[in-house]
Amino acid sequence: MSTTTSTKFLKSLSTDFTKLLFNAEDYNVIIKVGDSNFKAHSCILRARSPYFHSALSRDWAMKEGNNIIFEKPNISPKIFEMILSYLYSGTISLEQEHPTTILDLLTASDELILLELFTHVKEYFF
Amino acid sequence: MSSRKQPKGKIRPPKKPNSADAQFNDNWDRLAQAIREIHKKNASILSFEELYRNAYNMVLHKNGDKLYNGVREVITQHLEEVAVSQVVPAFPLSGASSSQTNPNGAGGANFLKVLKTVWEDHTTCMLMIRDILMYMDRVYAKTANVPLVYDLGLDLFRDTIVRSQNYPIQNHLLEVLLQQIKLERENEIIDRTNVKASIDMLLELTDASTKDTVYATDFENKFLETSSEYYRVEGQMLVGEYDAPEYMKKVDKRLNEEEQRVRHYLSQTTEPKIRNIVEEELISKHLKTVIEMENSGLIPMLRNEKMDDLGRMYKLFGRVVKGHDEMKSAISDYIRELGKAINETVTSNTTAEGGNAASGDKQTGATVAVRWVQEVLDLKDKFDKVQNLALSNDKAFQTSFNEAFEYFINKNSKSPEFISLFIDDNLKKGLKGKTEEEVDSVLDKTITLFRFIGEKDVFERYYKQHLAKRLLLGRSVSDDAERGMIGKLKVECGYQFTTKLEGMFNDMRISSDTMTDFKEYLDKSVLEKPKLDLSVTVLTSTFWPMNLSASPRCNLPPELTKACGTFQNFYLGRHSGRRLTWQSNMGTADIRGSFKARKHELNVSTYQMVILLMFNDKQDGESLSYEQIKGESDIPEADLKRNLQSLACAKYKILVKEPKGKEINPGDQFNFNNDFTAPLQRIKIQTVASKVESEGERKETREKVEEARKHQTEAAIVRIMKDRKTMEHNLLIAEVVKQLQSRFMPNPALIKKRIEALIEREYLERATGDRRVYNYLA
Repeated sequence: MSTTTSTKFLKSLSTDFTKLLFNAEDYNVIIKVGDSNFKAHSCILRARSPYFHSALSRDWAMKEGNNIIFEKPNISPKIFEMILSYLYSGTISLEQEHPTTILDLLTASDELILLELFTHVKEYFF
Repeated sequence: MSSRKQPKGKIRPPKKPNSADAQFNDNWDRLAQAIREIHKKNASILSFEELYRNAYNMVLHKNGDKLYNGVREVITQHLEEVAVSQVVPAFPLSGASSSQTNPNGAGGANFLKVLKTVWEDHTTCMLMIRDILMYMDRVYAKTANVPLVYDLGLDLFRDTIVRSQNYPIQNHLLEVLLQQIKLERENEIIDRTNVKASIDMLLELTDASTKDTVYATDFENKFLETSSEYYRVEGQMLVGEYDAPEYMKKVDKRLNEEEQRVRHYLSQTTEPKIRNIVEEELISKHLKTVIEMENSGLIPMLRNEKMDDLGRMYKLFGRVVKGHDEMKSAISDYIRELGKAINETVTSNTTAEGGNAASGDKQTGATVAVRWVQEVLDLKDKFDKVQNLALSNDKAFQTSFNEAFEYFINKNSKSPEFISLFIDDNLKKGLKGKTEEEVDSVLDKTITLFRFIGEKDVFERYYKQHLAKRLLLGRSVSDDAERGMIGKLKVECGYQFTTKLEGMFNDMRISSDTMTDFKEYLDKSVLEKPKLDLSVTVLTSTFWPMNLSASPRCNLPPELTKACGTFQNFYLGRHSGRRLTWQSNMGTADIRGSFKARKHELNVSTYQMVILLMFNDKQDGESLSYEQIKGESDIPEADLKRNLQSLACAKYKILVKEPKGKEINPGDQFNFNNDFTAPLQRIKIQTVASKVESEGERKETREKVEEARKHQTEAAIVRIMKDRKTMEHNLLIAEVVKQLQSRFMPNPALIKKRIEALIEREYLERATGDRRVYNYLA
């Protein structure tokens, strides 16, 4: 890391982005996962993941009114919430989780090509 | 929206005990269908999530290769269809003759337009296909070491469309592109967007074997070949039709156009190649022709000072290897030619003058020299201007010009004398209205000519003579100007060159002090005061140009002899051991003459005074013959003739000669001209005006120079040998040349003779073992 760049503000950035996810202010994407609907922001998702970059692009995005509707049927709401939280905050906590959850997270992060997360979970798991 | 929910139901089949193949087929069918929909621009009905998951599952279940090959097949199929349905129908009418059928290349332009659409559709579709096959790219393509799907799409486009085996698309494409470029070269307006699209397409496609772009492998060479041919023909046409300036403008325009073309729609890598072609065909091949174009080539440009055209030629020709060399040598030859002409006018003038050299037409003599220098300076100015305005002060050109000047200046054997005379003319009093700054700048320029002189020692000799006259006759414009000039010479040649000149100034200063003391001495002394004002300048013989061995004889009038004696006593009393020799040829006198009309004060040379005083003893009308004057005065013949000429044949005729004429001949009779009138009271009789030497004088100077060179050469040899003790013949010669060349170029035969003379006088000896080696004898 460059000595002239301070990283001490990353924590508040992460906190603020988590708030953004919780408050869903100015959201423009509704992600339907099982029975849950997650509200999110396309710019953040697209910036954070090549999968969403394509999925939410003009070519592929399905719109209902002003919002993009995206359905992810093969992932559980719990797992998807973890992923969303990771995408917004850049943090993840696996300590409290059941191994099956962790395994599901591993599979999902592979499908969505979240390489960092996949590597992290794999290392934690094995 | 409900249709999008369907996949949810279909997600289950994997759990059924269906065979994996059936499941794959099912999934693949849907994916292939989706790709077809994408090709049909129907993607809005498709679900990214579902298609992606579909491909993901196939790869996850090790069906990556099947998927990959399937995709390849679908895309190929589609492109084949595109070729048949869109590209082939757009072929311009009957290939080769298309430019005749469509004079504006409209058919070709349309073809490019279709191709542009096809290409854009393809890339758009490939981006979407890449989106849904992202997992295949990341996981399968990497491990299987196959191209990513987008690149696969490019390869398929290349093989199915651009290089189709089934249809002559490639031929048409290349032909249309070259035709469009040709049309543009012939000033048609073409749609660059379409051309650029095709070019960009070719640039994006890669040739499998060369790993280079298809642009480079298929298009570029053909483009360069046709361009070469095009400009070969154009070059021949242009040299035939246009003069040099127009030709160069056309070439400039072409170069510019090609550069623009590359920038607008070709690859930057083509830029140097096409530039080389234009330079080769339009510049290199016609260099000489353009330079030598009658009435418009390089020489006429120089003659008419066409700086813009010259500048254009310099820039243009600088692009090719031989360009500047050809220009340089042509200009240098021209300088030589002009220089030769200047030299010739001078020689024709001096030979014409040679006939009446004794006529005392001194003004003409100096004028020839001044005019020669002025013409050379003008020529120098002209080429300095060319250098400055057209040649970007190119050093190589400067060197070559300098060589040309050096060449013709040294072709004129009188150039050292002329340059010295020119300086003399400028440093003399009464400078024809020039300011000191102007004179200084003229002299600065003259120094540049001085640099070109090979025989600097000859120049020095003349300079000393001319300076001596200026100083002794009090004709120098100012001490500052003189010292300024000597300063300039010192910078060029070092102090050795100028110490003697500075010594001359010292003598002048000391003499003026001495004269003050002499006056005091006379005031205090009891001696009889001389009946005239005597002013003596004491010159150190080694500094001044004088010949002690042939000291000028002259019988001075008794009054003067007496005065000289008084001074001699005074001077030798102060400086014992010195020897004074009177140089009556270098003096002047102010005398008063009574004529019928009025009295005049005459400023004359010492010799003229001697001559005139002889008439004091004569009755009116009594004449003296040439022989009488010669016998009585004992003035050397050449000087006597010249001085008589000044008195009897020039502007102020103080004497009247019988028979009349410009020449002084034995037997001539001279009378005092009592009827002489002049508007001014004070009259200066010109004699010692500087002039070009006569042949006899030149020979004498030449001999003196040769003599001096002998001494300098010997001195150099001794200096070198004293330092090295022993030295081989050739090395010694080389070293001597090196030391002397700033003053003159000694020839080896001269050096060899001097070595032999030094051996004779036992300064050197030949080594016993090797006769080509010399030893220094201390």
